[in-house]
This record gives sequence, structure tokens and C-alpha cells, in this order.
Amino acid sequence: MKTKRLAELALLTAIALIIFIIELRIPNLVPIPGVKLGLANIVTVYAVYKYSAKQVAMVVFSRVLLGSIFGGNISAIIYSMAGAVMCLIGMLAVKRLVPVSFIWLSSIIGAILHNTGQIIVAIIIMRSFVVIYHYPYLIISGCIAGAFTGICAQIMIKRGLKGKSS
Amino acid sequence: MNRRIKFLIIAVAVLFVGSIVWIIFSNRPTDNTFVEIVQNNNVIYSFDLSKEKNRTFKIESDDGGWNEIKIENGNISISDADCPDHTCVKTGVLRSETIPIVCLPHRLVIRFAEKEQK
Repeated sequence: MKTKRLAELALLTAIALIIFIIELRIPNLVPIPGVKLGLANIVTVYAVYKYSAKQVAMVVFSRVLLGSIFGGNISAIIYSMAGAVMCLIGMLAVKRLVPVSFIWLSSIIGAILHNTGQIIVAIIIMRSFVVIYHYPYLIISGCIAGAFTGICAQIMIKRGLKGKSS
Repeated sequence: MNRRIKFLIIAVAVLFVGSIVWIIFSNRPTDNTFVEIVQNNNVIYSFDLSKEKNRTFKIESDDGGWNEIKIENGNISISDADCPDHTCVKTGVLRSETIPIVCLPHRLVIRFAEKEQK
């Protein structure tokens, strides 16, 4: 059982990494640092509702670490990490309140918290508050991207429940 | 749909609408021509764009990276950089008083300065 669970988590990490690397190839439409679709977070949202907090954290941290190494943007790892930590804490807290049919909502909250974490780190690193003017743009993009990834994860989880495959 | 979910939906909606309102109110075009370039929160260049000649120059960062700044016809932009994401290049010409050109990897900010400082 334990080995099976480990294999599932490894598979999820691999899927998230593939999505992450394919998404890097999609050019950014909005010239604001931090705005992106975050398709790899479909896996995060899925994992939050399927596995325990510790297991989700394992998947997310290995994805962020390997993603920044494979993506060739190691200097950005501190932003990704801060975002991932905030997002995880928020989503795990909200998970108890939000039932499966409202996963899109907890995904939006996760996305907004992700962007909040990134802005906080940017303020600390740049030692200046100018980046705060990007924050409203990040909230809006977080709502849209979060809703999209959340709906994707919701569809997947509902299918999983129907098929009773896992 | 219980009360907690309603509360969360309202909170998200308020944030969303609030951000749109914030953007609308903060995004005015400016006639300011004083620009400063800030790195690691130190002002390293400041000039009046209306008096600058067209030129390009490079700014090195501590970790060996660089950004190429272009001044053309009273507009300033980052024309090239060695970072992987090139977000600062895509931002284009500095227009808005509130949205600066930011290069996160090199901690570089180009923004309009207060006129009083001159």
C-alpha cells in the first residue's frame, strides 16, 4: 500500500512537471511578472483533495524544485517556493470548508494566495514597494487562472469518484 | 451551499472587483518626464527624458547579468536582457506613473520620479 501510494505521488509529480515545462513554451501574453496560467497547479488542486497534507507538500515541493532546475530559471525558485507555500497553506485550510463541488473556489483562493506570496517575496528581495502596483493585476489573473485550473481539477476528481478507480 | 462558502465567494468577488477598480483609478497616462533607474533600492541613474538623446546603454547587475536600456524620442524601455523570461523587455515603453518596468532577477526598476526631487 505504501509503495503504491509513493508511485502515485511520483506519477503526479511527473505529470505536473510535464505540464509545467510545456507551459514554459507558451509565450506570456501579459508583460507583468508573475502572470501565468499555472496549469501545473491542476495537479496541486487534485492532490490537495485526494491525499494528505504531507503527501501534497511532497508533490508540490519536488515539482517546484525540479521545475526550476529543468526550466533553467533557478533565480526564480524563491518566488515559486513562496507562492507554493502560501498556496498550500491556504488550500489545506480551505479544503475543510469547501466541498468537492466547489473546488474551483478553493483553487481561486490558492491562486490569489500564491500571488500574494510572490509579491511579499518580491518586496523583500527588491527592498522596495514598487511591485505592489502589480498586485491588482496578479489578483485578477489569479482569479481567472485559478478558476480554470480549479474546474479542470474538479472534472478530474468527479470522474475519479464515478469510476471508483483509485 | 452553506454560509461559509457564501462568505468565501463574496470575499473573492470583492477582491476581484476591488482590483479592477484599483487598476482603473491608478492607471492614468502621465506627462512626467523625470525617470529614475533603481537597482537594489539605490537610484543609479536619474534623468529628464525630454532632454535625453537617443541612446542605448547596459546596466550590469551584481550577479553578472545585464539589461540594455534604450532611450528613443523621449521614451525609455528595456530593449534586451540576459534573463530567461524577458518580462521587462515585453513591458515595452514606460508610460504609466504607477506601473514601473521591473526586472525581478536583476532587481532593477525603471519608474517616473517625483518632480520635486529635481
